[in-house]
Amino acid sequence: MEGIREEEALGGLEAGSLPSKPSNSNSNSNGHIGIGNTSTDTSGPHHHHKPLSRHGRTAHSLSAASLRKKSDVTLLTKIPCLGLRNLLINLQEIFFNTKLFFLFPFVVVAFVFFFLNLNQGWIFAVSLVGLVPLAERLSFLTEQLALYTGPTIGGLLNATCGNATELIIALFALHKGQIEVVKWSLLGSVLSNLLLVLGTSLFAGGIKHLRRPQIFDKKQSDIGIGLLFVAGLCHLLILVYGYGYASTETDFFPSNQLEMSRVCSIFMLVVYGMHLFFQLKTHSQLFDLEEGDDGNDAVDEEEQPVLTWWSAFAWLVFMTVLVAVLSEFIVNTIEEASQYWGLSVSFTSIILLPIVGNAAEHAGAVMFAVKSKLDITLGVALGSATQIAMFVVPLSVIVAWIMGVDMDLDFKLMETGSLLMTILVTAMVLQDGTSNYMKGAILLFCYVVIAVCFLAVRSPTLGMIPDGNLRTSLSTWRSLSA
Amino acid sequence: MERERERERERESTLLESGLLCNANNNSSLPSTSSSPLIDRKQSDRGVIVQRTKMAYSNPFKQFLANLHEVFLGTKLFPLFSAVPLAIAAHAFHLGSAWVFALSLIGLAPLAERVSFLSESVAKCITKILLHAVGGLLNATCGNAPELVLALLALHDDKIEVLKWSLLGSILSNLLLVLGSSLLCGGLFNMGKERAFDRKQADVSLSLMFLGLLCHVMTLIYKYNTSYGESMSVSGTELVFSRLCGILMVVAYAGCLFFQLKTHRQLFLAQDEDGSDGEDGFVIGFVSAIIWLLGMTIVIAILSEYIVSTIEAVSETWDIPVRFICVILLPIAGNATEHASAIIFAFKNKIDITLGVTLGSASQISMFVMPLTLIVAWVKGVNMGLDFSLLETASLVMAIFITAFTLQVLYLQIFYR
Repeated sequence: MEGIREEEALGGLEAGSLPSKPSNSNSNSNGHIGIGNTSTDTSGPHHHHKPLSRHGRTAHSLSAASLRKKSDVTLLTKIPCLGLRNLLINLQEIFFNTKLFFLFPFVVVAFVFFFLNLNQGWIFAVSLVGLVPLAERLSFLTEQLALYTGPTIGGLLNATCGNATELIIALFALHKGQIEVVKWSLLGSVLSNLLLVLGTSLFAGGIKHLRRPQIFDKKQSDIGIGLLFVAGLCHLLILVYGYGYASTETDFFPSNQLEMSRVCSIFMLVVYGMHLFFQLKTHSQLFDLEEGDDGNDAVDEEEQPVLTWWSAFAWLVFMTVLVAVLSEFIVNTIEEASQYWGLSVSFTSIILLPIVGNAAEHAGAVMFAVKSKLDITLGVALGSATQIAMFVVPLSVIVAWIMGVDMDLDFKLMETGSLLMTILVTAMVLQDGTSNYMKGAILLFCYVVIAVCFLAVRSPTLGMIPDGNLRTSLSTWRSLSA
Repeated sequence: MERERERERERESTLLESGLLCNANNNSSLPSTSSSPLIDRKQSDRGVIVQRTKMAYSNPFKQFLANLHEVFLGTKLFPLFSAVPLAIAAHAFHLGSAWVFALSLIGLAPLAERVSFLSESVAKCITKILLHAVGGLLNATCGNAPELVLALLALHDDKIEVLKWSLLGSILSNLLLVLGSSLLCGGLFNMGKERAFDRKQADVSLSLMFLGLLCHVMTLIYKYNTSYGESMSVSGTELVFSRLCGILMVVAYAGCLFFQLKTHRQLFLAQDEDGSDGEDGFVIGFVSAIIWLLGMTIVIAILSEYIVSTIEAVSETWDIPVRFICVILLPIAGNATEHASAIIFAFKNKIDITLGVTLGSASQISMFVMPLTLIVAWVKGVNMGLDFSLLETASLVMAIFITAFTLQVLYLQIFYR
């Protein structure tokens, strides 16, 4: 831990241009009991890097940081009792330091509704809204922990917990056996990151900077797109495998699709692991975020963690439990809620759930695009999408394997088709390293098309697997080709 | 000779500006609309008949003669004009649908060229009167006027498949045939020469086409889903979905036009800026241009009507499937002028204009003509959707991909040698 502190102090000295620590330092000296501001002589491994590069911090956390406020502790310093003061400061950090704090009551309301056994539709909606601030706080806490651990662990932590809400919802749905909800929610997350978040950010940024083209670093986006293509390939292959070419009339082999999916998932996880290694160790200089010319307030604020390790960890666990409970509400009520609100389950999972789940990232990404820091926006949107496609999805498959649930990578035709088209459109839009509002508009339009498509399609009841009979599918294809 | 060259340059600047900006200082161009080649037009013998700057003529008859001369003889495709009356005669005398079809097809080519020339003149006039944007819009619409007319007539005859196939064929031929042949000829002819290449407009057009592609693919999947029973949908939503997509596509195209013409015009400057002086006068007066435009459009409508009505009989006579005629043969004829101009500009090593012509035309058909016919069908109550069959969708998908990635390869080759 001291190593980090000294590194950052050194980093500050190197730059020479970092402003002095903001008022947070007051809270530091008050809030930390265990960690002092002393730098030791023992030096950990130094990386001489650009001072603003955060090893443990990804663009994800930077953008979410934009939703935070600096804490104002002057009021609390007057409380005499040390323990109570620290607790209150902690509470203030956790709850009030975010612009989303007004959404916290929804969490309580969700609990109330649940215990009062109110309408499922309302429980669903309220839990959904309550997830937003919790997700944001989770990423904040993860960041704080990442500041304590080394760069590698921090990066890993951010990578895994970056999309914690999606992961938790997926695991709960798996547990309940609602495989389609898992697939849909993960797919919807990828789609919303690539099209909605990226689209609105590019659009907003393009409108704001109408005269100059906005540029971004193509190298990072290329890698992200490459990984997404790998994911798309796996899904496509498994889907097509299901429609195979056997001429005999035997029952087609759903189990083989399953096994192929599991093998593919292992490979996807390996590739993602290599990507993490690439990103955090060997080629980290590619991923250094650009220095802002204007002092990046959000970045400076987080130089020092504002919570102790233990309190951060405890709050993390607590928040995770809250998220888990709300996710359980959501997963339990999704069917009835969809019926209540007159939507299909697929629409709710693909469109509504991710919009809410990504709300904090969304706001951050748009803000950074408007400030013309497209690298961060891309890091958020593309990085999140890559993480879900290449990490959360195969992880769910493997967890399902362990749990004995039959989940495979075969999203159905419409979902896979929209996924592939999304990746292609995004690749096309991002391929030349510039951005303007038209590109954002195109991405947004694509999202609307896909959303309308899923709105119009109603699935049969969950759990019903369509008849995998080969003859039917072949004849349908033939009729479509006529 | 000098004077002729000057006139030629002036014509070229006229074409390049496409009537958008008559400002001498402004060298913007909208290559996608300058679909008429310079060389297709002969230098009309002006010294005898008309001065170029005067709009008022002393003698109305002389004016009419001048117009006639300008309109009909001002193109190298003049001999093909004879096909028009022959086609009408063939139809009147019931000479067999094959003849009517073939003659109409041939007659379409010069008419299309004249329509684009006239629309440019009108656009030039309009830009002096109204905003730039309107002129550009007019040019953009008239660039694909024959296809639009054909589509609307097919819709009227309730031949939805013919309609879809002809539009699809137009896109495919623009992307693959026209672009391919022009790149091939230009590359062979200009071997070793440096080729400038501005990919911004290509990117915008291609991105638009990807959006259109998404709509088509989703419609196809939707149709597959509902027919396969994998998912049920409320009846009729497939059509609603197509219509919504159509509206979206038109809005996206309008946004793109706004982007090209208003806010980001500087991205689309033509690379070559020699000789682009402000044009000085009109070749044809505004009113006469409009009148000729209407006349030409009416003749195009007549010929298209012949084509649409005889297409089945022709396919039987010549033993070619209707689909082939619509997807391959019709667009070859309809795009003949664009094809020629694209090749010519490629010869001159002006790849930007070639790309602008082909990609702009393709994106316009995909994002404007197609949804427009969809909306017209909606108004008429005809059940037209955005769904092509599997073969057509697949070929569209592959065509767009191949074009996009070839352009990327081309770009990399030129700039990273």
